[in-house]
Order: sequence, then structure tokens, then C-alpha cells
Amino acid sequence: MSAQITAALLGLLLAGSILYLVRRDHLHGPYALWWLIIAAATLVLGFVPRTIDWLAHLSGVAYPPVLPIILGLSLILLRMLQLDIERSRQERQIRRLNQKLAILEEELTSLQNARLRTPKEPRGSSD
Amino acid sequence: MPEPIRHRCLAVMPARNEQATVAAVVRGVKAVLDCDVLVINDASSDQTATQAAAAGATVLTLPFQLGAWGATQAGMRYALRNQVATVITLDADGQHHPEQLPLLLAAHLRDHADVTIGACPERLSAAKRVAWAYFRLITGLRVTDFTSGLRVYGRRAIRALASREASLIDYQDIGVLILLRKKGLLINEAPTRMSPRSSGGSRIFSSWYTVLRYMIATTVLSIARVGGKSRPSPALLVTRRPQG
Repeated sequence: MSAQITAALLGLLLAGSILYLVRRDHLHGPYALWWLIIAAATLVLGFVPRTIDWLAHLSGVAYPPVLPIILGLSLILLRMLQLDIERSRQERQIRRLNQKLAILEEELTSLQNARLRTPKEPRGSSD
Repeated sequence: MPEPIRHRCLAVMPARNEQATVAAVVRGVKAVLDCDVLVINDASSDQTATQAAAAGATVLTLPFQLGAWGATQAGMRYALRNQVATVITLDADGQHHPEQLPLLLAAHLRDHADVTIGACPERLSAAKRVAWAYFRLITGLRVTDFTSGLRVYGRRAIRALASREASLIDYQDIGVLILLRKKGLLINEAPTRMSPRSSGGSRIFSSWYTVLRYMIATTVLSIARVGGKSRPSPALLVTRRPQG
């Protein structure tokens, strides 16, 4: 009985933290959805541990306690893969932004220099 | 709207903390070629940008360090934006001789190549020769000098290298060549002369750790890109000796 209380407490704690973070706007869009699903799953598993037995029976796993471990590890691996894909996409964008910023800065400087050399501009500063 | 700048060619030099040599290289290039010089200051902490500008180069300053290829790609994007027909890349550390540029450019135009590598296999150590033979084997590229930063790129190569696809390349050598081959572009080599770096050693071959990282990264890249479209390259021009 006490093991079930522990499981329920852990589930409640995790789901509570996730809900708090999502509500405080610390998790952006699609991540919020993913974590809300995880929170719901931990709540269900924490309060109704029999779900595991039922799922194990359905999937033919002989020893039900390994099922959440396997599921958890697989989800972590998938999530990490997706994170690295996302990181690569951001890295590409950051590099290109960096380059574009340098190019635009150079163009701006040369335009300003060109304008300083031709003083006929009416709204140019007087110095 | 100002008239777009139309150059025939642009010399692109990535530079990071090269204040001792950059000005001399810029002047050297301007003395032998009628083209603009673009120095990409890869977030240097010294006077590289001021030195280069004083020598008459246009300077792009990257807000933070991107490495040699990231800096060179900034030059490619600048070239594409300004309708440059030919880009010549060279290092700012003085190991490439500007006098060699007209010869390399002539070879590039004569052979109608998309990229011409200025090759100087004589400078390679025994360990590098082994590494290069390994790269030839796994990439299937018939190139004698992979890491030479002295290259001439034509318009099609410039377009390919300015693309998003080229932005995640980490080293300027093999990744770039594999991409160009995939696009069906003609990779050529011409012999040239180089001298040892006047300051500092090779960035890649500076420690065993970086060598290992480089070898692994390049192997992974070659395996990931295996089976790219290839076009037979003409006989490499190794029989022609460089002059002077």
C-alpha cells in the first residue's frame, strides 16, 4: 500500500511542477503540450498502478514492472533525438543571422560614408 | 537605390587575430589583381579589422566567432549579394603568395572549372599524406590537397556555397568539396607554391585531440554523404610546374 502512496506522490509532484511551469510560460508551445501529456501519464500511473499490469498484459510483457522503464527510456531517447535536430536547426539559423548581420553592418557603414561625402542631403546633420 | 557594385572578382580572406600579416596580404593581392578584397574578421580580439581596412580591404566583422568556414561563407553570401563572378579565397596568415593568384585564376578560367584548388602537396608532412590518402579513399574525391584554403570559385560554386545547405559545414575543406560534387560542379586542381605559416601552426593539426576530432567529423561526414552525384574530372594539372 505504501509503495502506491509513493508512486502517487511522485506522480502528483511531477505533474504539479509541469503544470506550474507551463502556466508560468516557461515552456514554449509544442513543448508545453508534450509535457502536459507526460504529466497526465504520470498522474494516471501514480494513482492507478494497475494500468501497468493491464498494458503489460496487452503487449505481452511477462514482467510488468519493466514496462514503464522501457517506455520511459524510449521516450527519453526520442526526445533527445528531437532536441538535437532542433539544436542543429537553430545552429544553422544563428550562423546565418551572424553572417547577415555582418554584411548589413558593412553596407550600412559604407552607405553612411557615401552620404557624408555628398553633403547635398537636406536632412543630413550639420557636423 | 544605389547602383549595385559589379566586380569581376573578389578576394575573400577569413581572418582571426591576424593583425601581424593581414595588411601585407591585402596589399599583395591588390598589387597583382584588379579586384576588391574582402576580409572577414572572425571576431578577432586584436587590430585585424583596422589593419585590413587601412590596407584598403572591405571588412565584415562577425559578431561572434564562426570559424574559418563560417567566415568564408559570409564572404560567399556577400559575393552573391554583389553579383561577383569569381571568388578567390586565401588565408590571411601569409602562407599563400598573392603572386600565385593570377596563375591560379588563369588555370581556373582556362579549364572552365567551378572550383580550382591551389594545391601544394610538397608542404604536407608524412602524417598528413597518410590522412589525405585515407580521405581520398572514403570520399572518392580525386584531390591531392584537401585543406588548401587557396581556391578559386566560380558563380555556380558561389551560389551553392552561400546556400543554407552549406551553413552546417564545420570545416572548409572536405564538406565543401562534397557539397560541390553533389551539385555536379567541376572540381579542379592547379599546382601552386606556399610557404610555412609565418605565425602560429595549423589550427586543425595543433593537437592530437583536435586531429582526432577532425578525423572523426570528416569520416562521419564522408559516410553520411556517400553516393553523391559525381562528374568525371579532367586530368589533374599536376604536370604543370608553378612559375617563379
